[in-house]
Amino acid sequence: MRDDPEVIALVTAARDGDVEAWNRLVERYAPLVWSTCRAYRLAASDIEDVGQTVWLHLVEQLPRLRVPAALAGWIVTTTRRECLRLLRVTHRVEPADGVGEAAGPADDQQDIDERLLAYERNVALRAAFAQLPPRCQHLLSLLMQDPVVPYSVISIRLGMPHGSVGPTRARCLDRLRHCPALAALIDARADTTGGGDRREQ
Amino acid sequence: MSNDIWHDDEHLLASLTAAMREAEEVPPRFVEVGKAAFAWHNIDAELARLTYDSSEAEAEPAGVMRAQDASLRALTYATAELSIEIEITPDAVLGQVLPPQPGRATTYLASGPAAEAAVDEMGFFAIRPVPHSAFRLRCVMTSGLDVKTGLITP
Repeated sequence: MRDDPEVIALVTAARDGDVEAWNRLVERYAPLVWSTCRAYRLAASDIEDVGQTVWLHLVEQLPRLRVPAALAGWIVTTTRRECLRLLRVTHRVEPADGVGEAAGPADDQQDIDERLLAYERNVALRAAFAQLPPRCQHLLSLLMQDPVVPYSVISIRLGMPHGSVGPTRARCLDRLRHCPALAALIDARADTTGGGDRREQ
Repeated sequence: MSNDIWHDDEHLLASLTAAMREAEEVPPRFVEVGKAAFAWHNIDAELARLTYDSSEAEAEPAGVMRAQDASLRALTYATAELSIEIEITPDAVLGQVLPPQPGRATTYLASGPAAEAAVDEMGFFAIRPVPHSAFRLRCVMTSGLDVKTGLITP
């Protein structure tokens, strides 16, 4: 895991009672709790119960969290434990028959690490998107829709010539790539794929 | 993970789409409940220490078992001035404050106060219903004592 200075700053501030820092931590990690629960195929109401427990635990753990950078890992582990506990108490899984783990994704460390790397990448992508000018956000939002919105419709919606949609798309994606939130991650990745010994933990 | 994700427009757009979907799937209420959990941080009550938990005391001699039904969960929390004995039954959180004194007892979820009940002159209370998820208990006594427990997982 990267020692993300932003996470460390948020944890430290929340520990000191800064409610804004706490809110940003919740915004940052709520999708992680949610998607982890979804992997256990829990119903929406059960996911809410798990969420309640995870956040309350986190409020309690904040002062004791030794390594703030390990927060994401702590959240995944706690969420998984709560999902399994919920499955057990609702008798959907018998604790003794060993299917507890089978009900959810494999629990090995490598699996968690890969998931957290992918998650932090998504956090960076969302942060970078939020930093784009409104016009780029609008265009990319249209391009991300499912089913696909044709260029002819996009050109009308954005009031730009049909021939400009493609080049504007390329420019906006390039801006995204160079947003500070993402640029740092791309650099780190280039280091690790380059096989150098600067590989971060 | 290939560098294509960053350098190829198609890959970048696909990655961005997946990242945005991941956040959009989360109901706003889920996030709001998480934010509300912080309020507990600021409740200025004394944190009681867990001194007994039946779920961690299986090896205890039978004579010491307080719960008549072994499946019931029993917990004791204590501060220097009072202790709260809690029993979680299927339909209520039962409690006994010692030394006996009146007040109010409230269960708290991340979203805030969930249910509350009067603590009678004998120090007894029954809060219904039992929360589905982990909760905390706060007892505000008429004597002025204000005590909160750690997280109780039913």
